[in-house]
Amino acid sequence: MQPTRCLMKGRSVWKGPHIVPLPIVRPKPGERIKSIKTQARSATILPSFVGLKFQVHNGKVYNDVEITEDMVGHKLGEFSLTRKPFIWKR
Amino acid sequence: MVFVLGNNFHPQKLVKRALESFYSLGPQTSARIMAKYTIHPLARLGSLPTKTIVSLTAELSTMTIDNDARRIVQDNIKRLRDMGSYRGRRHAMGLPVRGQNTRSQIITARKLNVLERGGGDRIRGT
Repeated sequence: MQPTRCLMKGRSVWKGPHIVPLPIVRPKPGERIKSIKTQARSATILPSFVGLKFQVHNGKVYNDVEITEDMVGHKLGEFSLTRKPFIWKR
Repeated sequence: MVFVLGNNFHPQKLVKRALESFYSLGPQTSARIMAKYTIHPLARLGSLPTKTIVSLTAELSTMTIDNDARRIVQDNIKRLRDMGSYRGRRHAMGLPVRGQNTRSQIITARKLNVLERGGGDRIRGT
């Protein structure tokens, strides 16, 4: 599979991956990585995001997501749950 | 008893059925293998000469079948789970993964969407 194809996951070739302009600031060595607060759940995770921290909105709160190498090609929203798991009331 | 790839089969068993008892071998692949060795679709294992069975075993040992194939599927699910993605969570819960309704009729999902998909080693034959 071509590397760009891997990012698109079924999208048309001419569209390319869904890239959202995010305020990404590369931290200098020695500095703490500041997490990026975002509501763009549909943004594709690009290879350049690896190692960054995001705070992804789930409609209510911002969940912390740390990007690893496996996550490239998925969307940010996949890692921030929007639903509360059902537990039978005791 | 006929031995194919270390598994015991009854000589009365259809060759097609014996091949398809391996995980990841379906109707299409089994038909292709049988065509390659010019075996009749309704042939039984007992009617095959020993030479053909040896070559069948050699052919099967080069393919990724059974536990190797099962491990590929399980690794893919495990990767989703370790990432903490929604799909991985749904697999762990045994619920539909692709946004289906869960009000009723999720029997297939309960059966299939598990972390250890395909189960463990199975005893085959007879």
